[in-house]
Amino acid sequence: MNSAGNEDGISRRSFLGSSGALLTGAWLAAHWPAVAEAAHHAEDIAGAAEPANFGFLAAEEAADVDAICAQIMPSGATPGAREAHAVYFIDRALSTFFADWSADFRPGLKEFQAGFRGANPAAGTFAAAGSDSQIAYLGTVDHTPFFGAVRTLTLLGMFSSPRYGGNFRGAGWQLMGFEDRHAFTPPFGFYDREYGGFVPYSAEENS
Amino acid sequence: MTSRRFKPNETVDFAVVGSGAAGAVLARELSQSGFTVLVFEQGPRFSPADFEHDELKYFFLSGITVDPKISPQTFRKNADAAARVAKAMPPALYARLVGGSSNHFTANYWRFHEIDFNERSVLGSIPGTGFADWPITYQELEPYYTKVEWEVGVSGLAHASPFDPPRSKPYPMPPVPVKSSGVLLERGARKLGLHPFPAPMAITSQPFRGRPACVHCGFCMGFGCEARAKSSALYTMIPEAEATGRCEVRADSYVYRVASDAGGRATGVHYFDRDKRDHFQKARAVVLSANGAETARLLLNSKNPRFGDGLANSSGLVGKYLMFNQGASAHAVFEHELNEHKSVQVTRILHDFYDSDPKRGFYGGGGIDGRINPQPAIWAMSSGGELPLWGAALKARIEAFPRSMVSAGHSTSLPVETNSISIDPELKDAWGIPALRVTYKDHPDDLAFARFLQDRQVEIMHAAGAQKVWRDAIEENEAGVHLLGTCRMGNDPATSVVDKHHRTHDVRNLFICDGSSFVTSGRGQPTMTIQALAFRAADHIGQFAKRNEI
Repeated sequence: MNSAGNEDGISRRSFLGSSGALLTGAWLAAHWPAVAEAAHHAEDIAGAAEPANFGFLAAEEAADVDAICAQIMPSGATPGAREAHAVYFIDRALSTFFADWSADFRPGLKEFQAGFRGANPAAGTFAAAGSDSQIAYLGTVDHTPFFGAVRTLTLLGMFSSPRYGGNFRGAGWQLMGFEDRHAFTPPFGFYDREYGGFVPYSAEENS
Repeated sequence: MTSRRFKPNETVDFAVVGSGAAGAVLARELSQSGFTVLVFEQGPRFSPADFEHDELKYFFLSGITVDPKISPQTFRKNADAAARVAKAMPPALYARLVGGSSNHFTANYWRFHEIDFNERSVLGSIPGTGFADWPITYQELEPYYTKVEWEVGVSGLAHASPFDPPRSKPYPMPPVPVKSSGVLLERGARKLGLHPFPAPMAITSQPFRGRPACVHCGFCMGFGCEARAKSSALYTMIPEAEATGRCEVRADSYVYRVASDAGGRATGVHYFDRDKRDHFQKARAVVLSANGAETARLLLNSKNPRFGDGLANSSGLVGKYLMFNQGASAHAVFEHELNEHKSVQVTRILHDFYDSDPKRGFYGGGGIDGRINPQPAIWAMSSGGELPLWGAALKARIEAFPRSMVSAGHSTSLPVETNSISIDPELKDAWGIPALRVTYKDHPDDLAFARFLQDRQVEIMHAAGAQKVWRDAIEENEAGVHLLGTCRMGNDPATSVVDKHHRTHDVRNLFICDGSSFVTSGRGQPTMTIQALAFRAADHIGQFAKRNEI
């Protein structure tokens, strides 16, 4: 029940596409990424008020990736990718625990940038363009593996543990209403609060 | 009492390979019966404080699961296809630490029904499959299901489901508190005339045998339990085995070969310690409980001149009839908050579609539950049924997380001989041992039933009042966490690997008990039955040993 693989085993593309049948063990087959180094490297910047320097991305690359992240999860009344430091998570991931994605990531980014320049000769970089231009261009490339990769990494950067350099000060968890606690007590939600108890089935139904 | 430590040259009564759901039960039962037992576990031993709420580490970096960097596996759909190295998720996924996959399971503890054991007799043969009856009945296993509930620890409500099989005792603990997903599943299902009921879960709903009640942290599926509320072998059978003073659990010890002599008897096991030093442990008998993938691999890698096709493989069926279980998901968003990231994954299930119905035109049966995956990043990456999703639409969906749930369906896999665990002819692991190869393609009936079940799930979510419902695509398995059927039980040595007492047909002092013993797949929740089988196997093996019949 997972996405079809290809020559790369449980394919990278299927993961990056991240279309996602959740919940069963089969979901894992579609989404389990290639493993690389342990994540301790990223812990160095966990919780830091100011992010560390980039390790994988050049400054201009980082600006464009940050701009893509900000369109995938925009800022507003609630935090977006920018407030969650998603681009720093991505940089750390490509440097360490998802290092084997990096070989495809950089060519994908260059192709993305070249495509944007071709479509918007007067706009300069993607990061420097206006939001309307950015959204219009993303709409033409949002089925590409590169966009899928950035989307996946943005979401991991927003909602994984802050120890990996994203989800800054729990911004992603606040956005989605996830409480990072080790214990809760019932009632947990609206519907169980009003639940009247399990009513046994009649003898007729049980026969 | 301090755990036993055997000396290097000491011969133990039983070497048990694997410390998970089955191996831990066997170790506890045999050591309590007076035998010396040495349990081998390839992974490390965790204390409760070692478990973390870190989904990136546990779901994406092999935090406690088999790591493809050191234990690579290959996958192919059929024998004609080239096997490819699975660089991401291992196709046979299991937890690799003391307690095995009972650490990271969701803890759904359904008993099998009577029909699971004699379904072939009731329904007839199914072409292209090894569909068969079990050599035991539900009635024979019932006392051991009860033993699991009372000695491992299961919460539930007896006789709540009209479809429940007979039971000799109620559950030892009441059900875990209902969640909103359970309330909504129950609401929708009852409106449709179905019969939802409190889910039996191997999680404490109150203090039990020295363990505290669940604190509802929400990190069950895929995670170890730092509260000791999940009834994992690590917290139940393992310490009770060690408390006998006759059992040692040797962690970081990877058994790669079962040794046998010219007379065809098992003599012990070869293993690597954590420093990759090679050792041999002598044993009067060997029990394999390494899971349905690694048990088969170990037997196939233990071939020698007397057992040229692998140990205990005169039938040629070691590794064959692999079953993963199928499943389906229906997502739903409701008006008010459910907050499904809190507490255990599942609180209500239904078994109205458990039995296969020939009128449908295909074989299959299953159960439905209400839940969500609480992990925030994984949930956020699900599609919402619309791809690509980004920008304001994605943000709105993520902000709906507290109002969302999923109905998960769990269903049958038919035993198909070509679905198998075998040895990859080229690939080796980090210890130089030939690697595991998975060959798997779902039977068409497995997919047809999953679609049927998903239609019912969608109906239930609508009936519950969902504002929006969507479904995940049902596709062929290329990986599994339920590793079943690869050393099937049977009375005929030509068509099975172990007999009804879990003794291999070929090697008198070699026993196998784990998911590999299954003849059919059940409906997607196998661990309860694995442990009931282990309690029953331990009874028989202990009696054999006492009568000097090993």
